[in-house]
Amino acid sequence: MKRYLPIIISLLVVLAVAFVVINKKNNQTTKHKTEEKFTIGNFNKQKSCARHPEFLKQLKVTQPITIDLSQQQFKGLAFLWGKNFSKVIHPKAWETYEHFSTYALDEVGNVYLAPMPFISIKPTTFNLQKNIYKLDSKTGKLDIWMNFDDVHPSASNPYGIISLVYDCDDQTLWVSAIDESDYREQKGVVYHVDVKTKKILQRVEGFDALTITLLRSEKGKFLLAGSARENALYAYGVENGVLSKKVNKLLELPSAQEHIRKIKVRGQNLLELQTIPFSYTLIAQTSANNRERNHYDAKWDSTSSTWSLTKQ
Amino acid sequence: MSNEIKISIGILSIGLVALAAYWFMGEEGDSKKVSTHKRVEEQIILPQYSAKRYSNIPEVKEYLKDLSAVIKSGQAVLPLDASELDSNGVLAQKILLKDKAFLKDTIRNGKPLHNDMMRIRPAIVSVLSASSKTICKTHKCYQAEKYNYVTNTTTRAVVDTDNKKVLEVTNHAGMQPDISLRLTHIAQAIALNAPEVAKELDRTPRRQDMSMSNVRGALQGSPCQNSEHLCVAPTFSDHKNEQALWAIVDLTEMTLAAAKWAGLGKTTTPACISERSLQNRYIMKNFCEKDTHLEKNGWKLDYRLTGSDGLEIINVEFKGQKVLSTAKIVDWHVAYEGKGEADTSGDVVMAGRQVEFVKGDEGKFFFGYNDAMGCPMFSTSVVLPFNGPLVKELYDKDKKKVGFYLTQDFRNPKWPMACNYRYENRFEFFDDGSFRVVGVNKGRGCGENAIYRPVMRMDMAFSDKENFYKYDGSWKKWLTEQSDFQKDAKVYDKDKYLYKITDENGKRGYYIEPNRGQFHDDSRGDNATLFITKFKEGEGDKDLLTLGSCCNLEEDGVERYLSANESIDGKNIVLWYVPRIKNDARAGHEYCWADTVIDSNGNIEVRTFPCIVGPKFVPIK
Repeated sequence: MKRYLPIIISLLVVLAVAFVVINKKNNQTTKHKTEEKFTIGNFNKQKSCARHPEFLKQLKVTQPITIDLSQQQFKGLAFLWGKNFSKVIHPKAWETYEHFSTYALDEVGNVYLAPMPFISIKPTTFNLQKNIYKLDSKTGKLDIWMNFDDVHPSASNPYGIISLVYDCDDQTLWVSAIDESDYREQKGVVYHVDVKTKKILQRVEGFDALTITLLRSEKGKFLLAGSARENALYAYGVENGVLSKKVNKLLELPSAQEHIRKIKVRGQNLLELQTIPFSYTLIAQTSANNRERNHYDAKWDSTSSTWSLTKQ
Repeated sequence: MSNEIKISIGILSIGLVALAAYWFMGEEGDSKKVSTHKRVEEQIILPQYSAKRYSNIPEVKEYLKDLSAVIKSGQAVLPLDASELDSNGVLAQKILLKDKAFLKDTIRNGKPLHNDMMRIRPAIVSVLSASSKTICKTHKCYQAEKYNYVTNTTTRAVVDTDNKKVLEVTNHAGMQPDISLRLTHIAQAIALNAPEVAKELDRTPRRQDMSMSNVRGALQGSPCQNSEHLCVAPTFSDHKNEQALWAIVDLTEMTLAAAKWAGLGKTTTPACISERSLQNRYIMKNFCEKDTHLEKNGWKLDYRLTGSDGLEIINVEFKGQKVLSTAKIVDWHVAYEGKGEADTSGDVVMAGRQVEFVKGDEGKFFFGYNDAMGCPMFSTSVVLPFNGPLVKELYDKDKKKVGFYLTQDFRNPKWPMACNYRYENRFEFFDDGSFRVVGVNKGRGCGENAIYRPVMRMDMAFSDKENFYKYDGSWKKWLTEQSDFQKDAKVYDKDKYLYKITDENGKRGYYIEPNRGQFHDDSRGDNATLFITKFKEGEGDKDLLTLGSCCNLEEDGVERYLSANESIDGKNIVLWYVPRIKNDARAGHEYCWADTVIDSNGNIEVRTFPCIVGPKFVPIK
């Protein structure tokens, strides 16, 4: 029996190593699978630093106030206020730079505006898509605030800067542009811009964000992005003011034609998503009943780690 | 060393090597597993046949016969067959077919509208109102759904069959219900009989290979015709290749709307596929991203869809000889006449377009817009291509085949609603070497006083040295860039030809025969303005955004490229041809017009009254 001991020991050694190897391998696979599902965790609505422009006080404008960028009644931007938003502030000068798509307010009431081509192409249309505009809080004067040399709208993609959001944490703007993309390739850019110096702090390529917004959750800070190409909501991680290179899909909408145009954090684990059909053209969605524009409540369920969508 | 030690070392060596191999091979195996999961590239198939093809399928034929009988009897709702109902369901249907609230939307202007009863079944609690819930606790209640094809509305009712009373009726505009068993069989029959499906499957499709996918949930938006039609998607699974063919059947039109191959995996199976988005992607991939080559009846050419200049043909040859470098319709100017002072203080938008105003004479003004046709994505077009370009046979007035034509249909998605348009870009190629550039307008427009001007651009390809002539009793050569009003011409060579273009030595060339209504297509003539310019880069050789004003009737937009001093004698020249059409909405005289009527089956029928313009080019022999 003793003479077989080396054989028995060698078999036991091989079996022990096999046990460790197989276990480790399985753990690695499980870990890999777990990592595939990206989540942002629980979140809630945060208090914003945004303030309305100071010139509104001088004009004795009182709450409620809303900024109208719908371009239905007013070109450019307009402030609607009073009962049923029946009162309007809309100087002709605010039509100078044509149409706007999104705005962001800073802590002193300046309004930063992203442009938008709307229905018709004019000789100036493409150049207007290269800028961020600013409505001065004190004077109400509208001007080009920053020009992006690397934004090149064209007949085959008339869009340029398309969305922006103000970051109260570090007085910066997050800006998205989709001009470089074509049918084959997604080449959109998310810029991080220091408001004081107008310096581009970061430039992340490769994703077409039709809209962006910031969100803070138990897992950290995220830049949420509605995709211009897909019917989906994505998220970038933001750590120490730096955007992760990877963008992760959070959820998908039921219809392939829907693209998220607006994201609002509504409450505890609740987002409101506004969607439109989007195909990088100027076709206006003029359905009489506005059926093309949908609103969804996207609710995050932390126990099942799933999103549920309800059409409003 | 003893044998046992040798064996032990052997076991250790082999075992450890095997485990190392497992560690690495395992990973490879895993990645292999992932990579072998077939990623099926999306492949879209658009229909090649009209609804007529399916009207003779027994299921469809019988359905249409029953529908016709119902409508003729003055009723509007095609009831469910008793085989789809239990005894209470039969009773609920009987009650509902006499209920005023349930039938409220079924008649328009005295005409019954096509409605189908879709389902009648015991009511489920979630559809009941609070008051109905109380009643239905003790009574037998049935829920019913009918669908109005004309208004695209679902009506849901709850019936207390014990008391023979309708408890509630609700309407859901723009929503489609789950379909009846009868319509399920019809959808399956259409998919089974669609040649496109058989071609894709490479065999005659069988019913047992098919499953009926619910491309929309109950009462959700339809994937067809901008959500205006009732559609379902019978699906043929190909498990071997991990893919499925989705046949989208339009039950409003009783036809195949589109089909697509998609993977079976969760990530690639479309939760909801839409005819429009399938068309967009198909057209982008096949006609916007690349040129298509066509050879037929001695003609050779390439064609493509442009960003905003419609369908373009390039490198056209006939029997080995170059004919055209390019031809396209770059714009449709649309103008309406108004009286009084136009309010131009702000932007005016009409059906999704910015309206331009131009002051006219005698208290008139003109307003309108430029319609750019082109690719459905990544473009500045406002009128979209429907289906891809098609090649069809061309017949003369005696039904004799004389050639073929290439055509592309462009529409506003809401056509034929007011202020929405439908255009056709067509190129006709005759067996004798003639060709015609054709613009077709199918209305409907905003009113009856519209003036349409398609701007056609043609660059002939005889040589770099070309000459242009006009006939005014004899042929006169033009030496510099200029324009001419065809509508003012009094004499034509052989009573046909007003212009001709030739190569330098006059050996090869084409006569230009303006359309004066002689082409047997009910046209009222071109009344065109012709421009001849020297070829210059940037003057329409690439996509033109818009060319000039929609509404300044004194100019067509091409004037900007004219220079009285620019010689065209023996130069590479470009022809611009701008017909001018006035629409007509008078009953019996409709022209460039479209209208909708309720047909004998209670469905919407679109009647089109096209206006067809464009010159014919006839080889000089």
